[in-house]
Amino acid sequence: MTMAWQDEQKRLTPDDVQSASFPLSRLGRRGYDEEHVRAFLSEVERELVTLLNEKISLWNEVERLRRRIIGGKKSGDGILFGREDAHVHAVRILSNAQLTADRYVADAQAYSHRLTEEARTRRDEILSQAQQHAEMVLEEAQARAREAALASLNAPPVPPQLEANRSALKAELAYLRTFGEVYRTHLRAYTEGMLRSIAEWERNEAGAIQQASAEAGGAFSLGAP
Amino acid sequence: MDVLRLKECFSKIAMHGDEVPLFFYSDLFIKHPETRELFPISMKAQREHLIGALAQIVSQVDRADELSVFLAGLGRDHRKFGALAEHYDVVGESLLETLAHFAGDTWTSELAADWKEAYGVVASVMIEAARQDEALRPAWWQGTVVSCERKAFDIAVLQVRPEPRLDFVPGQSVAIESPLRPRLWRYYSIANAPRQDGSLEFHVRLIDGGAVSMALTSGQAAGGTLRLGPPVGVLTLDTRSSRGMLMVAASTGLAPLKALTEHAASLPRPRPVHLFFCARTAEGLYDLPSLDKMASEHKWLTVVPSVSADSRFGGEKGSAPDVVMRSGTWSGHDAYLAGPTDFVREMSARLTTAGTPREQIHVEDFGWSEP
Repeated sequence: MTMAWQDEQKRLTPDDVQSASFPLSRLGRRGYDEEHVRAFLSEVERELVTLLNEKISLWNEVERLRRRIIGGKKSGDGILFGREDAHVHAVRILSNAQLTADRYVADAQAYSHRLTEEARTRRDEILSQAQQHAEMVLEEAQARAREAALASLNAPPVPPQLEANRSALKAELAYLRTFGEVYRTHLRAYTEGMLRSIAEWERNEAGAIQQASAEAGGAFSLGAP
Repeated sequence: MDVLRLKECFSKIAMHGDEVPLFFYSDLFIKHPETRELFPISMKAQREHLIGALAQIVSQVDRADELSVFLAGLGRDHRKFGALAEHYDVVGESLLETLAHFAGDTWTSELAADWKEAYGVVASVMIEAARQDEALRPAWWQGTVVSCERKAFDIAVLQVRPEPRLDFVPGQSVAIESPLRPRLWRYYSIANAPRQDGSLEFHVRLIDGGAVSMALTSGQAAGGTLRLGPPVGVLTLDTRSSRGMLMVAASTGLAPLKALTEHAASLPRPRPVHLFFCARTAEGLYDLPSLDKMASEHKWLTVVPSVSADSRFGGEKGSAPDVVMRSGTWSGHDAYLAGPTDFVREMSARLTTAGTPREQIHVEDFGWSEP
């Protein structure tokens, strides 16, 4: 019986909430509005106080009933609960079951919230990386192609007029060929890298889900009526 | 009935917080197990609703007129939850039992009589409102999901055919329950004006951890059935006005404004409409093609897409209110705003500051915080 109370001592107390502080986020980075965090913390603190009070009053109630049962046994009438007591007891049991169910639903919801939030963030990251990479590849390809075109223009001294068209076309061709080559190579490397990272992500997620469902399974079998 | 005594008694009982509704529902379910299936698995939100409603009733118990408006709405609203007239008696019994339990030694036969009388009035107003409503329309409509199209990473557009026909005013919304999430109802705006075939369009944004939005955007939705509540809401077109219209939609706030635009198109003398469709990124402008199509068909319609965080976008960039305010003067317009709470609040404040009279600003607050 007293074990439960000792455990309580290590738990989060209203004072812990009240005195909690968080390092400030670096300048220019997004962070939570401090005032909102403060307001939320005081709400949490109030809620904790209420919960603790409720717990204590329930504890007292349990003790009172226990004494009554023991008293009843001693006096030998053998009745543990009156009809009314039995009903209140049943209500308590059902209420606890309901609270447990509520907690499971809330946990599942929190888990799915975390999961979709992470997926969303990860997706945004991948997209913006891909965008940056694509821009980089384009720039590089353009630069290299320009070089190639210049080189082919500067290379052999050609007879004027007639050769002018030909060399312009040649330059254009060299530009396009080099551009295409560079772009293809980069695209292939990048796509392969992306596939690898998706495969890895899937593996991680499958592992996490398996672990989570194993944990949930264990918890449910304990909690089952 | 001693009103003061009643209020005093309730305020003492209310100090027990969540314990009160918890006891009430457990008592009800033990005595009448068949009522359990009228409620969702998690009862947390339900308990808060009950205490909220009780507090409101007790605070207005001596103002019968206001109270009966609230109770009539509550009675009609409970039809879609499957509440029947006979449920009111058993609920009353459990309520009295709960109050007696928490009042403890202070519970007297006079108090019991007061509560019994007060509950009798409440129940009869609710039952009567439900009965009258029954003559007008079904408790809920069965909706078949004709299609569910994923328009963006987190947005789906659903076409739903209700049975029987569901009559509504463009801009209204209905509560939706998915069979995947029994007894959880969420409001969604209908995104169209009434159609010949009676079908309804819904724009659903996936909310992280959102039970119902997840069920509706998942691929399983197509071909399935939903339950739809009666149409509600007041974000409807002011057809007596002759002013031009400014519509600002943030993300799926587009749904009611698209319905209003369609409504405007059906009027004999169309007024100019400026429709701003705002999202974070270009991908979030999920319904732009159909808006562009409408704009090409109607000279009076101007569609302006804008994004707040997408440097590659070719059109307007910046926060929605900034884009709207720098694009024109709107003091002579009727404004219709829909989207997340923060956006609606800011947009409406900016318009008011710039001279748009408050009564010309019509808003739909989506309250996206609830999962």
